[in-house]
Order: sequence, then C-alpha cells, then structure tokens
Amino acid sequence: MVCAQVEASPGKCWQKVLYERQPFPDNYVDHRFLEELRKNIYARKYQYWAVVFESGVVIQQLCSVCVFVVIWWYMDDGLLTPQWLFGAGLASSLIGYVLFDVIDLGVGRKESGRTRWADLKSTQVFIAFTYGFSPVLKTLTESISTDTIYAMSVLMLLGHLIFFDYGANAAIVSSTLSLNMAIFASVCLASRLPRSLHTFAMVTFAIQIFALWPMLQKKLKARTPCCYVGVTLLFALSALAGLLTISGVAALLFALLLVSISCLCPYCLIRLQLLKDNIHGPWDEAEIKDDLSRFLM
Amino acid sequence: MACRRIGGHGHTHSPASSINYVKALATGIRTHSICMVSDFFYPNMGGVESHIYQLSQCLIERGHKVIIVTHAYGNRKGIRYLANGLKVYYLPLKVMYNQSTATTLFHSLPLLRYIFVRERVTIVHSHSSFSSMAHDALFHAKTMGLQTVFTDHSLFGFADVSSVLTNKLLTVSLCDTNHIICVSYTSKENTVLRAALNPEIVSVIPNAVDPTDFTPDPSRRDDSMITVVVVSRLVYRKGIDLLSGIIPELCQKYPDLHFLVGGEGPKRIVLEEVRERYQLHDRVRLLGALEHQDVRNILVQGHIFLNTSLTEAFCMAIVEAASCGLQVVSTRVGGIPEVLPENLIILCEPSVKSLCDGLEKAVAQIRSGTLPTPETIHNKVKTFYTWRNVAERTEKVYDRVADEVVLPMDKRLDRLISHCGSVTGCIFALFAVLSFLFLVFLRWMTPDSIIDVAVDATGPSGAWTQQYFPSKKGSEKEEISNC
Repeated sequence: MVCAQVEASPGKCWQKVLYERQPFPDNYVDHRFLEELRKNIYARKYQYWAVVFESGVVIQQLCSVCVFVVIWWYMDDGLLTPQWLFGAGLASSLIGYVLFDVIDLGVGRKESGRTRWADLKSTQVFIAFTYGFSPVLKTLTESISTDTIYAMSVLMLLGHLIFFDYGANAAIVSSTLSLNMAIFASVCLASRLPRSLHTFAMVTFAIQIFALWPMLQKKLKARTPCCYVGVTLLFALSALAGLLTISGVAALLFALLLVSISCLCPYCLIRLQLLKDNIHGPWDEAEIKDDLSRFLM
Repeated sequence: MACRRIGGHGHTHSPASSINYVKALATGIRTHSICMVSDFFYPNMGGVESHIYQLSQCLIERGHKVIIVTHAYGNRKGIRYLANGLKVYYLPLKVMYNQSTATTLFHSLPLLRYIFVRERVTIVHSHSSFSSMAHDALFHAKTMGLQTVFTDHSLFGFADVSSVLTNKLLTVSLCDTNHIICVSYTSKENTVLRAALNPEIVSVIPNAVDPTDFTPDPSRRDDSMITVVVVSRLVYRKGIDLLSGIIPELCQKYPDLHFLVGGEGPKRIVLEEVRERYQLHDRVRLLGALEHQDVRNILVQGHIFLNTSLTEAFCMAIVEAASCGLQVVSTRVGGIPEVLPENLIILCEPSVKSLCDGLEKAVAQIRSGTLPTPETIHNKVKTFYTWRNVAERTEKVYDRVADEVVLPMDKRLDRLISHCGSVTGCIFALFAVLSFLFLVFLRWMTPDSIIDVAVDATGPSGAWTQQYFPSKKGSEKEEISNC
C-alpha cells in the first residue's frame, strides 16, 4: 500500500483514527479521503418496455374515468336507457366474476375462505340498498347549483386519480380515500340525471368500474401479462371511441395524454435516471434489517 | 444543576489558569477575541453544550477573550457570568423547534452587531448545523467583515428531501466561511460533500472528555453477575429497537446478565414492553433521565458498555465509558471506528445478531479474566482526548484564520453566485446586499463609536483575571453566586 509520509518522521502513515496524535496538520487531506464514498448503489436500472408495461395501470385508471364520464353523458342525453346500462353492467360483472376465479384456478378464493353464497348476499344487499335509496340520492343535491356539482365531480375524480393505489409505496396512496372520492363524484353526477332509475344504474356502474374492475385488472396483470396488455389496449381504444362520439378535440387531447404517459414518460424516466447522483458512505444512518416484532409476539 | 458543576470546574482549572496566563504573557502568543454562537448552551444539556463550555474555559485559560451568545432559556435571559469570567449572552429570540430559534437572516442583526461591537469581537465561532442562530451569526459576521469559524457536530444523509434542503442551506452558509472544524474524519468527509467545500479549509479536531470526571471504581460493581450499561437518549437514531431485540436474546442465554439503561425518550415504551413480555423486571432496570454528573455513578456499576447508535459523528458516550474502565461494545457506524483503538472496543454491524455476538465475546473475556483492569483502561484512555489539546488545536485554527482576509462584498457576492447554484446563489446574494444595507442603516442610527465597550472579564486585560486570580477562594464563591 502506498501511503503519505511526512518528512519529519519517515515511515509514518496517516491513519484514520482520532485517538493518536499524528504528525500531520489538522486540515491534512490524505489520498484516502472519501475512499469509502459509494454512488448510486440503490439506483435501479429500468428497461423501457417494462416501464411502458407498468404504466398500464395509470392508463387503465384514466380510461375508467373517461368511460364513466362518457356513459354519464349518454345517459344525460337520453342515448342510453338505464335498463340497458344495468343489464350490460350485470352481464359484464358476471363474466368478470367468473374470470376472477378462473385466472388463478380458484387459489385466491380458497385462501380468502369466502363462499359464493356470501358474495351473492353482499351483492343483493348492495343492489337492494342502492335501489331503495336512489330516490333520495336523486333529490339529495337538488338545492345545489349544477355548476357546483360539476366542479365538485371534476375535483373528486382528479382526487381519485391522485390517491389511487398504482402500486407505489408512498404516503399519499390511499385506496379507501380514492374509492370514496370516485363514489362521491358518481353520486354528484348521478343526481343530475332525469329519473331515480338512472341514478341507481349510474351508481351501480360506478361501483363496478371503480371498485370491481381494478381488482380484476390487478389479478390479470399478475397472472397473465399478455392478456392484460390486450385488455388495456382494448379498453383504451373503446374509451377513445366513446369520447370521439362526443367531441373530436377531447378525443385527440385524451389520445395525446395516453401516448405521452405510456411512451414519453418512461423515456424521460430512463434518461433522467442517468443523471442520478446518489451518495452513500459511512455517515449514512444504518438501517435495521432485523424483524424486531418477533420479540414482542 | 449545571451551575454547581460549572463552579466546580472553575476551581479545578484555576491554578493552571493563572500559570498558563502568565506563560501566555511571557511568550507573547497571539490572543483573539472570540464569540461562540449556538442555540444550544446550558441549561440545555448535550454534547454541543459541554463542548462549547469546555472549549471556552480552556481558551480563557490560554489567555484569549471568550464570550458565548445563545438564546434565552425560560427566565434565564440577559447576561450571566460563569466560572473564570466567561460571559454568556442569553438573547431574547423566539424559539421555534427543538430549542432552535427562527431564522430570518435579519432580525438578529441589530442585537448581534451590538454585541460584536461592544465586545470587540474578532472571530465569530458558530457551533452545530442544527442551530439557525449559528448560521445567522455567520452571515452577519461576514457582512460586518469579521473572521468566521464553524464547528459541525453531526452527520447528515443525502437521500431525503429534508437533507437536500438543509444541505443547500449549509452550502450557502459555509461557502464563504473562513474555516470549518469537524469532530471526526467521517464527519469531515460528510461536511465536505454536503457543503461542497475545499477539504483544505476543514480541520478535524475531536471532542474530549474530562478524565477526572470519569474515573473507574471497581468496588461499585457486583462481580457475582455481569452488568451491561446503556446510557443514551431512548430514540430511534440511538438504535433502541436493536436493544429491544438484544435484551431477550441474551437474558435467555445468560442467567447472570443484567441490563442497566439510563436515559429517557419516546422508545422507552418499547423497552418496557420487552421487559414485561419476558418478565425481566429484576434484570433490566430503566433509570430514566440522568443528570450529567450522575452518568459516572451509573457507568462504574457495569462491566460492559453497549452503544447501539445508528449514526454518530463522534460518540462521547463510549469514551466516557472506556474512561470508567468498561469494555465497550458498539455498532460500526459514522465516526465510531476512529474513536477508540481496537483492543478497547468490540465493533459490530448494526443488527441484533452481530451485537449479540459482540456482547457474548465481551462476556467470555470477562469470565476468562483476559480483560485489562479498569485502571489500566482508564490510564490509557485519559491520554487520548483532553480539552486542553482541543483548545490548542482550535487556537491554531484561529491563528490561521486571523491571517486570512474576509471576502469583500463584491467577491462575496461572486462566490455566492458561483458556488451555490444560480437560483439559490442569486437569492442569497440579494439577502447579503439587503443585510449590508441594513447594517449601514444601523451604523447610521447608532454609530460604532457611541457603543460602549464592554468590561473585559477574560482575555489579556481581563478584569476578572486581574481581580480574582490572586485569591482563588474568593473567585469560586463569586462563580457560584453568579450562576
């Protein structure tokens, strides 16, 4: 090993210790200075297509919101009858329900220990209550101005998108809050529809698209990534088509948004990752890696 | 409580003081007029506080003039004199968080300027990067053209948002500071990186302990069992969660092992739960908050000292424990590996398993009797770190700084803009200009010439030195009544 030596006492190496008086000035800088510095040891290397695949969750959620608004628009304009919406929703829910078990061959069901009877019961209770309360929901916001309702719905849907659990481990994520905001928005919008049956169909649809659909997606993504990509593309295209029938400009803007999120953002992330300059060294606070909860079990 | 201790100190230092003082006059070493600034000072207790106090005392002993400026603690405000005429200004500034004052870069200028002028300060020495008053004082001192020195006592990460922001502020604060002192080599590396400094202007001067305060007393410990002592604040950063894993693990293995835990904090509940869960009430004693002078009495009751800190710049606690003759077991983090030689400390990784292995090794050494006696350990440790040595080395920094030029305003602005990034640099350059204009205004309101010069208590022509050093008895009485 090479070491710095002082003329006064040849053969004396600088040591990184404090307890010895060394023949060096206090501001001496050895060549070993910062030798324990490490850079970017926890930085992840991203693959472009892997990031594009992961961005599917965001695309799906944006499309859900888009589809929901389009359906509401159709209902408001009388292009879609509530019977149709409810029927279609029920049919697709049944298909989804079957798929949910088929994807993992019933393993998830066995683990949760939930019976089909219990599922049926909660569905019945839910439908019955929504149906019973739909006249109340219909008249609930009568005294509030329609502009306020629209503003509130926009805010709530944005909040839903912000707080949704996209799989990131962050403090801001709260799936409960996210779902509640979406349901609140749906109740607000549904109350502006012509009849209470419309309201009932709309709220039921909101539950399906904001609560049940993401669960199915999650399972799809984990089990059959290929199908997931297909479903996401199909869903995005149908949302775009729906939007196109209402407004061409909106459809164009929405398409641009989707493309930038799924293609441009991953590219930026990978480019910016190169600029990452994360410093580690002996001064870092140590992390406790043990599982200490076992001592208190 | 601190008072009595401080009074006692004055007494132990006095004989040496007068001798050294005479020596200083005879050899004609350069004397400085130093102002120590920090938010943290007695009656608050901790490493920074005792560092400032002990360093000041030793500098006074070497013939310098030293004053301390801090913020008011409760009804402790105004000016106080501590032992040997050490003057402390407790300024009426608002405390924001964790005993740190608010910083606006402007509001403290009138008060600090008044003090710097009336005390004829030549060097401003700020302590601790957590203290906003210290940074304010550096800023004002540079505006007034005084030399500046900064001591960093802590380590900081780089990964999270809060450290990114604080590191930026530190860069601004230190970019035109004359000299920086760190307490360990690891701390120096950390500070150089955080504030993007030239390592040549950073000196490493370790902390010290007073070896006369931490003497071994083997008769106080019970040799029929083995006692592990832990003295630290019970907070996450001190690794108390690790301790909660070590206690049950080792207590099951060694029926004669006892734990003595001194200190208070939010993690106390974790230790209490462990004690409850494993029925260890007679073997794990939680002593609660300790006065600094009681620490020695706790330390001497043990055989092994355990430190589980997750980050530490220097760690005075392990030096105090070794000085009391205990075998030290500690985590290998921060500057700890630099502090004690390998034969006096068992270093472990910060995990329950590694620390348990380390403790078992220490227990085996005690059982086989291969450990040196407490007296031998003490005699070895007491030569390592002394406050006189710290003061001597700090004095060299002052001498060096006194020969340097303080950057004139235009160069200072250039440095701020070129060194701190264009956005932050420009903002703080603007602040520097505003603060300079404010200073000009203050000088016009109350010119320096009409500010009274304060009575020098310490230093070359110190009133205190001349009046009290001949009769040491009288001086001690005065100290106590002044506290």
